[in-house]
Amino acid sequence: MKVYDSSVRQIPVISQVKSIYENRGLLRLLVVRDLTVRYKRSVIGVWWSLLNPLFTTAVMFYVFNTVFKARLPGGSPFLPYLLSGVLLMTFFNQGLTLGADAIATGAGVLTKVYVRPEIFAASAAISSAINFAIGLAPLTVVLAIYHKTPTWRFPLVLVVMFCMILFTTGLSLMLAIAYVNFDDSRSLINIFLMALQYMTPIFYPISVLGPHTRDVIQLNPLTSFLQVFRREFGNSAVSTIHNWEIMVGTSFLTFIIGFYVFNARWPKVVAKL
Amino acid sequence: MTSEKIVEVSDVSLAYRRTRHRVSSLKQTAIDTIKRRMSYEEFFALNGVSFDIARGETVSVIGRNGAGKSTLLKVIARVLPPTKGQVIVRGQVAPMIELGAGFNTELTGAENIVLYGTLLGRTPREMRSRIEAIADWAGLTEHLDIPIRAYSSGMAARLAFATATDTTPDLLLVDEILSVGDEDFREKSAARTIEIMNSGCAVLLVSHDLETVKRMSTRAVYLDQGRQKISGNPIEVVEAYLSDVHH
Repeated sequence: MKVYDSSVRQIPVISQVKSIYENRGLLRLLVVRDLTVRYKRSVIGVWWSLLNPLFTTAVMFYVFNTVFKARLPGGSPFLPYLLSGVLLMTFFNQGLTLGADAIATGAGVLTKVYVRPEIFAASAAISSAINFAIGLAPLTVVLAIYHKTPTWRFPLVLVVMFCMILFTTGLSLMLAIAYVNFDDSRSLINIFLMALQYMTPIFYPISVLGPHTRDVIQLNPLTSFLQVFRREFGNSAVSTIHNWEIMVGTSFLTFIIGFYVFNARWPKVVAKL
Repeated sequence: MTSEKIVEVSDVSLAYRRTRHRVSSLKQTAIDTIKRRMSYEEFFALNGVSFDIARGETVSVIGRNGAGKSTLLKVIARVLPPTKGQVIVRGQVAPMIELGAGFNTELTGAENIVLYGTLLGRTPREMRSRIEAIADWAGLTEHLDIPIRAYSSGMAARLAFATATDTTPDLLLVDEILSVGDEDFREKSAARTIEIMNSGCAVLLVSHDLETVKRMSTRAVYLDQGRQKISGNPIEVVEAYLSDVHH
């Protein structure tokens, strides 16, 4: 028989991760729910989730390639570079906001039933990762247009995806606390996300930047995620071991901090609701 | 083992810091922090509450709004860890909550039964085997494969109720006895709640309906500003509460 004893000390982070593992049945259901709602119910199915990144890419390609005549150093094709950027950024935005939204809107249930809200954040990150993986198909097609194929190192993209799941789960937990506490945090986060978008080299090469700007952009962890992804999947950018270090380091650190902060703040949120 | 304790609440307090002026925007918080106008007060939602519930007992909690009744439910549902004291709960807990809160309108009735039941603490496999029985009880067998958004609000409430009550837990948490849907279903749902309450599990009932409290409970606890003012015989506790309210 299950016994709950409130005086048993729970170790933060470890107990939370353990609880997600124990509830993996629910986690799987939530991921399947996200994907079902997105695919099965619409006529064009899988294409629906690709529509947004593909359309964004088309618009940006027209603006930067045709209007501004942007060129990458060494004459690398612009389209695969751009599409990889848009796909990864969509992964990030989607995982972050879906997770925080799920917790904020589910607060009615989560304050009455014992379900770890962390499961909602993790499921949002995982379903965004699956959408991202589906997006690798059109990226392969785009590479083929330029007579390129994915590199033999492409399985390393799985590591990028895993790090991204950790990163967005941790961030969305902290964002969820902000959503519930402050009514105006949603509009602020949208402005912040827009700024972050421009601070990530989605449609420009890092080499066009001045030395100071370049340092700032390199500090943005998403830059490292993106450069590693581009290099390992389609060889469409240069990445260094330093980028790997930033990617792995920030993702684990953000995950731990996010879980820790959530564990400390969530009971206070529940008490007030 | 008829006297097996399902719930033991020992000297439980729940305190949190709250701002003196209710602030809910980031802008206001920033301004107040800069002007050093932020002031907090320690607020005790529960203060030294102790009682237990054995299998087969129904304990009612009464008190004014804001007396700590829903906080007590949260602490026992293990959603909220107590600041002080100890809570022990043995076995499976089933909360009767506002219905349909865990529903997704784009999913079908069958998919929602599985998801909602799993949220309430059962396994997906268990729930899959219960789909037909639950739909049958709710009278929704023909509507299982269409999305909930095509349901009327009464149909959704029936499905939620049937899913939530498709179990005999060790502890049932009831925040007001629910009755949903049309006249027929309302009777059926109230009867089902009472059937579960009488099934031998432990019940914690929070209610403003004092007649129900007197009739259904073995014991009652009267909470006043987080403190346990009096507990014991439900008739006496209700009388003590009423004489306070009328003063």
